[in-house]
Amino acid sequence: MRKSRRNEEAPRQNGSADFEASPVGLQDGHDDNDTGRRREIRSKYRDLINTVQQNREDMLSPSTDKLTEVLEEANKLFKDVRRAREAALDAQLLVVATDLGKEKASQLFSEGSAFDPTAFAEHLLSFMGLNRLEDGDGGPQNAGAADGYLPRDAWHRLSRRVECCFRTAPSFHYMMGSFHAEPPAPKQRTERQRKAPSKEAKRIMPTQLKKMEESHQEATEKEVERILGYLKTYHQDDPTSPISYYEFVVDPNSFARTVENIFHTSFLIRDGLARMYLDSDKLPCIAPVEEGDIEAASSSSRKQCIISISPKIWKELIDTFEIKDSIIQPPEPHNE
Amino acid sequence: MQRQPSSSGTQEDNEDSMFTQPSTSQVQRGLEKLTPAQVDQKTSEVIQYFLVKDQKKVPVRRADLVKHVVKDYRNIYPEIIKRAARTFEQVFGLKLVEIDPKNHTYILINNLEAADKPSPVECPANPKLGLLFVILGVTFMKGGVVRENVIWNTLKKLRVDSGEKHDEFGDVKRLVTEEFVRQRYLEYVRIPHTEPMEHEFRWGQRADMEVSKAKILEFMGQLHEQEPQSWTQLYREAQASSSSSNSSSSQR
Repeated sequence: MRKSRRNEEAPRQNGSADFEASPVGLQDGHDDNDTGRRREIRSKYRDLINTVQQNREDMLSPSTDKLTEVLEEANKLFKDVRRAREAALDAQLLVVATDLGKEKASQLFSEGSAFDPTAFAEHLLSFMGLNRLEDGDGGPQNAGAADGYLPRDAWHRLSRRVECCFRTAPSFHYMMGSFHAEPPAPKQRTERQRKAPSKEAKRIMPTQLKKMEESHQEATEKEVERILGYLKTYHQDDPTSPISYYEFVVDPNSFARTVENIFHTSFLIRDGLARMYLDSDKLPCIAPVEEGDIEAASSSSRKQCIISISPKIWKELIDTFEIKDSIIQPPEPHNE
Repeated sequence: MQRQPSSSGTQEDNEDSMFTQPSTSQVQRGLEKLTPAQVDQKTSEVIQYFLVKDQKKVPVRRADLVKHVVKDYRNIYPEIIKRAARTFEQVFGLKLVEIDPKNHTYILINNLEAADKPSPVECPANPKLGLLFVILGVTFMKGGVVRENVIWNTLKKLRVDSGEKHDEFGDVKRLVTEEFVRQRYLEYVRIPHTEPMEHEFRWGQRADMEVSKAKILEFMGQLHEQEPQSWTQLYREAQASSSSSNSSSSQR
């Protein structure tokens, strides 16, 4: 019998549950009024829930009693609740209202003087150096800046002041940058794939280009060898007398040549074929390394140094050491 | 050596749950099998890992540490951490702190007391610090929890609009709700039953360790031209937290 009465109501998924859980269902002697009344109650509950959700700010304000009013309203409605469906809505309203109540309670937290974020913001703006314009036309680009604009270093100023509130560990930075936690993925596969196309690519490239690259390298190597030859020859002429480094590399006729000599000589030092040392006057000297000593030299302590020279220094060297000719003869023009 | 690409949290969580803290006797036995130089080397590697990870201020997880650095030495893990913590304190003036005993995550903080006043040297400060201060400050003054709207509105008054790109901070919303949260300065939690969805801000675990409530209250007092004591409950809370942080020691 009840089923026919509930045809006006839209059939719901848990219709049967509603049927079973219906509390004092025997009371609905006035069927049509009752259905209408049920709908009305549910609608009112939904309104109350909406009110609470949409007007959260209002509800939270300590100056209104809106939340209490809602609860009183709900109390009245609940008197007429007969079915679980309405009761469910009542429960939902209770949940929403309780959340709000909890928030209201937490607002009571500030005893003593309250804290107003708006006032705080105003004080901060002053601290950060807000330039308050008198006319109030701060320009449309500043949102809500009816009264001025912030200087560029505003946030830096604030940050400097509040640094002392933080016990942050200073960050550690390698000069060469950071790393990934995982080791790099193995690269072999990609290399193999690359080798195949590159072979063909080399064939397409003009062979002349290949020759040029080699000739550059060869030129440097040839120069270095040549200079080694000069060094050895000079040394053999008088093995006991030390060769002054400056006298060896300086070309009194050309600053550029001098620089090149220094450059090429450095390769000899690097490869352990020549060595530099300071004589009794603390002037640098250079000497070829004996054949047998080359191996030993590589394991002994090696030092690095940086040599710089300017045209002014070059002239001073020529004058001081009275260098008339260069030991290292300039190479033949067509080699360069 | 097999290397698996690091996946989402699940794999690492599994690895961490597989890692059981070795007992003291296990550690002892493990130490006997290694030379002091080996232990020192591994400790140094752990220290370097921490220092580099600290650049982004993202906490270090025990699972990552064991997987990437400690590896075969995991049986003496407590000893390595102990030594690393000691080195941090004595050599770097930093404190190794486990901010999450459940998930075993660590951060580094400064072991030295922060200066009372800003440094007389004009060195550039990170502007993000100012932004963080505003959020942490308002949250603290409002009792430790605050609805996100309060923060967004306050920032708007400071010309920082979460909906627009800011000259200094860029995508403010992302910075506040993602980066600061990842660094554990803030917690950004959903408020249940809110329609549309709202969140609330709280102090994060890193902030609890790194930030001095007393100093914040002091600055608040200066700004409002009030004594910090006028906020009685907050003052009490600030005093309590500063004394507890002085006595706390790094764990493990």
